[in-house]
Amino acid sequence: MALFGQVLVNGILLGGLYALMALGLALVWGVLNIVNLAHGAFIMLGAYVAFYLFTLLHLDPILALPVAMAVLFALGYGVQRGILGLIIRGPMFNTLLITFGLDVVFTYLAQIAFSADFRTLNPGYAGANVLVAGVTLPLVNILAGGIAVALTVAVWLMLGYSRLGRAIRAASQNLTAARLYGVEPRSVYALTFGLGAGLAGAAGDLYGLVSQINPYIGATLTAKCFVISIIGGLDSALGVIAGGGILGIVEALTTLYIGPTYRDVVSFGLLVVVLIVRPSGLLGRTT
Amino acid sequence: MMRAAIWAVVLAAAAAVPWLATPTVIQFGINALFLAALAQAWNIIGGYTGYPSFGNSVFYGLGSYGTAVAMVQFDWPFPVGLALGALIAVAFAVLLGLPVLRLRGHYFAIATLGLALVMTAIVSNLPIAGSNIGLVLPLHRGDALFYELALGLLAAATFTVAWIGKSRFGYALIAIREDEDAAGSIGVNTTLYKVAAFALAGFFSALVGGIHAYWITFIDPESSFDITINVKMIIMAVFGGPGSVLGPIVGALLLSGISEVLASEISTLAALFFGIVIVVAVVLMPRGLAHVARWFPAVGWRYFGANIRANKL
Repeated sequence: MALFGQVLVNGILLGGLYALMALGLALVWGVLNIVNLAHGAFIMLGAYVAFYLFTLLHLDPILALPVAMAVLFALGYGVQRGILGLIIRGPMFNTLLITFGLDVVFTYLAQIAFSADFRTLNPGYAGANVLVAGVTLPLVNILAGGIAVALTVAVWLMLGYSRLGRAIRAASQNLTAARLYGVEPRSVYALTFGLGAGLAGAAGDLYGLVSQINPYIGATLTAKCFVISIIGGLDSALGVIAGGGILGIVEALTTLYIGPTYRDVVSFGLLVVVLIVRPSGLLGRTT
Repeated sequence: MMRAAIWAVVLAAAAAVPWLATPTVIQFGINALFLAALAQAWNIIGGYTGYPSFGNSVFYGLGSYGTAVAMVQFDWPFPVGLALGALIAVAFAVLLGLPVLRLRGHYFAIATLGLALVMTAIVSNLPIAGSNIGLVLPLHRGDALFYELALGLLAAATFTVAWIGKSRFGYALIAIREDEDAAGSIGVNTTLYKVAAFALAGFFSALVGGIHAYWITFIDPESSFDITINVKMIIMAVFGGPGSVLGPIVGALLLSGISEVLASEISTLAALFFGIVIVVAVVLMPRGLAHVARWFPAVGWRYFGANIRANKL
């Protein structure tokens, strides 16, 4: 029973990080109708930003979080303005293809620049554990999970109540009407895509704390983000948090009770089943 | 009649390659022909029907594994194994196509991507398929045989696609691509046609997988269900011109050739090149080489600018 509690809490913490990873993907998908296959590559790049800040400048990964976010925001903004903006009114399939192309470009540029070696972020507290109610938890998992959930909630509030948030939501509901009310689509689209990439950067920073990184982690992470977005729906950040939590728990319990080799069968099987039964997301609104 | 004669000459010339070329060229040819056949199969569901499938690598993997399991575990001959692989893939296409083909656009793409990931994980857990270690097939020397098999398969797939383009079946698929609801309302049985197109694509992809497995003599889940194969099919078909008969072949042969030259220098560069080609091709020629060939002579360089103006925000 203690093991069950341990695994469950670990799954929930991992779920918090998953939610932050998927939030940017869900935001860009829901608002811009772009399924960004390069999202995992953005997470990977965010992790490398944190890694180099830590190794070269000895900057703590938690303090490096805003930097990773800013760097990836700038990259995302540029990609939307310079590349995706050129094809966005074309067939939906083209956006899928071009973001896959970007994923390949980022992955192999990262391999050339950073080498294919596994890297880890090891700040002084990396091995520390915290004992909560009889359950031992790695400190980094608590930090990563907690910060991820806080950031997700902050973005949700920003979307709901700030001027930019309202402009983004207006653009996603009806671009023509939003335009008439003074929303400039090019800048709102670029800001939204930049925000999505920035969230991926933050998630990458935290991911580097709890797991090893290399240039190829992007594709798997993109797939996980799909699972979460599909479970949670694209309507709200709270759905994404729930989706992340569900995936984290399901993965943890599958690993414990069925075996680690079945983890992907269950999580991607869940993706396919949810898509077939309820394409608007398990928790999303039906349209 | 003239056209048929030209095609017969082209096919005969291609078939003569193993007797004239060096072993390296023959091996490059086999790989390029496999990719062309896969791109042509993808063209049926992706190009004509407009369903961006990321699940065709599953058919390829099932074909590989069907052939390998039959030959290794049951000692059946190669043709029987190949047929078994194709049968499994077609059954899979029908059973999973029925629910998955109800999804549209991004959702279909992601569902098929999910299926590919699930199948990789399931096969890694099957003892009869060698779990995650894989299977070693009996060795058959002689690249000429595999070259001719690959060429024959590509020819068969291309004739099928050429027939589709002119048949009632093909018109139904194109109608579904252009407007599925409208097609349904004028009496096209959309489910039947979509599943048939999916199964046909699965049939040819599985045959490629089976022949490739016997040629390469070793398969494992990672490489047989590799999504990169699926992405290559898409890039080659889209680069050449989806929904055209010759576009996918031209795209596959051209990109394989360039990639081969680059890979002989630096392998990372070849992968990077693929990524850049996708990005540039989607921006400048979103409808593929076939469309460029038709319009470029008349419009000139403005063709590329017009594409950007039509699709930008």
